[in-house]
Amino acid sequence: MKSFIQRALTSPAAGLLMVILLLGTILTLFAGTHVDRRTGVEVNNFLNSNTLVQTATDASFFAIMAVGATFVIISGGIDLSVGSVYALAGVTMALALRALGPSSDATTVLIGLAICVAVGLVCGVLNGLMVVTLPVHPFVITLGTMWIVRGLAFVISRAESIVVPASLTAMAKASLGLTETLYPVPMLMMIAAAIVGMLYLERTVMGRHIFAFGGNPEASRFAGLRLGRIQMGVFVVSGLTAGLAAFLGASFYGSASCGDAAGYELYVIASAVVGGASLTGGKGSAISAMLGALLIVLIRQSIRTLRLDQNYEWIVIGCAIIIAVVLDQGSARVAARRLTAAPTGGTR
Amino acid sequence: MIHPRRLSPVALAVFTAALAACSGAPPSPAPAGGASPAAGTPAGGKKKIKIALIAKSSTNPVFLAARTGAEAAAKELGPKNGVEIEVAWLTPPQEDGQIQAQRIAQAVNEGADAVVLSCSDAGKVTGAIDDAVGRGLAVMTFDSDAPQSKRFTFYGVDDLKTGQTTMAELATQMGGKGKVAVLQGNQNAPNLQKRVQGVREEAAKHPGIEIVGVFPNIETPQDAAAEVIRVNNAYPEIQGWAMVGGWPLFTRTLLDEIDPKRMKIVAVDALPVELPYVEKGLAPVLLAQPVYLWGYVSVSTIVDKLVLNKTIPERLPMELVRVSKENLGDWARQLKTWGFTDVPDKYLQMGASAK
Repeated sequence: MKSFIQRALTSPAAGLLMVILLLGTILTLFAGTHVDRRTGVEVNNFLNSNTLVQTATDASFFAIMAVGATFVIISGGIDLSVGSVYALAGVTMALALRALGPSSDATTVLIGLAICVAVGLVCGVLNGLMVVTLPVHPFVITLGTMWIVRGLAFVISRAESIVVPASLTAMAKASLGLTETLYPVPMLMMIAAAIVGMLYLERTVMGRHIFAFGGNPEASRFAGLRLGRIQMGVFVVSGLTAGLAAFLGASFYGSASCGDAAGYELYVIASAVVGGASLTGGKGSAISAMLGALLIVLIRQSIRTLRLDQNYEWIVIGCAIIIAVVLDQGSARVAARRLTAAPTGGTR
Repeated sequence: MIHPRRLSPVALAVFTAALAACSGAPPSPAPAGGASPAAGTPAGGKKKIKIALIAKSSTNPVFLAARTGAEAAAKELGPKNGVEIEVAWLTPPQEDGQIQAQRIAQAVNEGADAVVLSCSDAGKVTGAIDDAVGRGLAVMTFDSDAPQSKRFTFYGVDDLKTGQTTMAELATQMGGKGKVAVLQGNQNAPNLQKRVQGVREEAAKHPGIEIVGVFPNIETPQDAAAEVIRVNNAYPEIQGWAMVGGWPLFTRTLLDEIDPKRMKIVAVDALPVELPYVEKGLAPVLLAQPVYLWGYVSVSTIVDKLVLNKTIPERLPMELVRVSKENLGDWARQLKTWGFTDVPDKYLQMGASAK
């Protein structure tokens, strides 16, 4: 029990959570207050249920994609196409639902979800197939598909911003019994995606195979792992999470366009990296990726809440990512030295 | 395997870096009225209004002029009406309708009284506008509207008419004949789509004018100029450009690239950096939107609604200003009084116009 608590407290997720809580405390202290228009009660500008849920909602769309991207990064690959897959899935769903015409709310939601997931699946399979069969690094493959998929979204949508049926927005903005101005669905989906991702990675044989492959592909080959299947699988997961995020995003904001999520692939990768994923493979965590996304959104939000010059947003996020990775590598080297030194000490 | 001790220092480092960078950043320009962090709370019994200004992109100079206008209006109208007005600049660095929707929600949650918005994607922000209105905020749009939303008014040019005027001026400059290209900007922006529609409609009235294509572009000066050069190379027969926004003219690149005897440009917007194009005759006519007024009029409209309880019409029309060699000096001086610091002296010293 003591060991479990000790492990939990020293885990990467606990570290990130502590940082988020500390940043949240600072924001609470310095954010100021305002009088809530509906209740007449003075509330903190940051520590109020609307802001907290809104922050989680803002993070949820790329946090869900970051869970999928973490799979790819653990395997030693990279997926730059997630933002484009998000856009293609969103516009495909919106166009299809417009063409199908009105149907019941439940049917509309199910069809919308199925289309987004299917588009994500197809894109993931295509990425995976090319990575497995072509002698080209995933960076190049997904750089290419990033443009191809974005271009497809542009062509089929004709650059139109397509409004989705109201039933989708009602689903994504359901208050689930909370105050009517709270929309917890994206946040809950984000948490669910992170938990499923964590369970798959850490509690299944297939999940452990991804770590093994990313940590040492040669050793994995000699151990008899089916490497092509692992690579295909991680890109499929990445595509699926992009499709799911697109479904939520288009539903929540009420429309889809080919320009959606442009540049989000960088936030997605940054979330995974800040969450401790190693770009050289073999290391990463779905929960930490989600927390990484939350931290990035919180940093963005803090710049405005604390009334700092928001022109510094990109500088702050960029510095945070570089410092995180540099220190992570530094601590990895220290740990490796300790491991190397340990047997010598033990034999004496 | 993940080493459990590795991430805690990393996470702390992220936190430290973020805080260090934040605390090292210079504070935003003081909001008009010197608002305290406790926005929305009465200060010494004086009424306070917090207005969130959300333009399309903080890298586009026209929106920086709008911000200057908004802050000037806040400074001027606050004391006059016995209110403290704070303008919170929540514009995203790049165009993104989703981020705009998030910023609207943030403004609501942090106690703003009003939102003034130029929509990058009307579909994306309509829900957020309606939520804000539902929670008691006054929301108005400027420049680019969200007509399906519950915003109370829109201030801006008639985009269809703007497109028509752009094409009509270009046709005049080209003697009513020739091949033209249309520069569109962000193809998702509804106001620009309307302007392009206006360009097409007007072109149809001129049998000698043929549109070879409508070209979207990233709305940065360099990207836009590069797109114009690419299109000119691909279509050497182009003799005129109808630009529904002035993006490529925000650099001097095309001044050297295009021979004014061979090609004419008519563009919307007339910022200081574009004035040499008028002087050289490459853009003999620019159709200026008084972009400073986007901010100024918006803030005064919010004051009219929230403080003076005036009835506001659903649409507040903005008139374009035709800038040509004849009134270049006047326009340059106008820009200077609006806070533009980069107006070349030679234009400021030009004689009074003959208008």
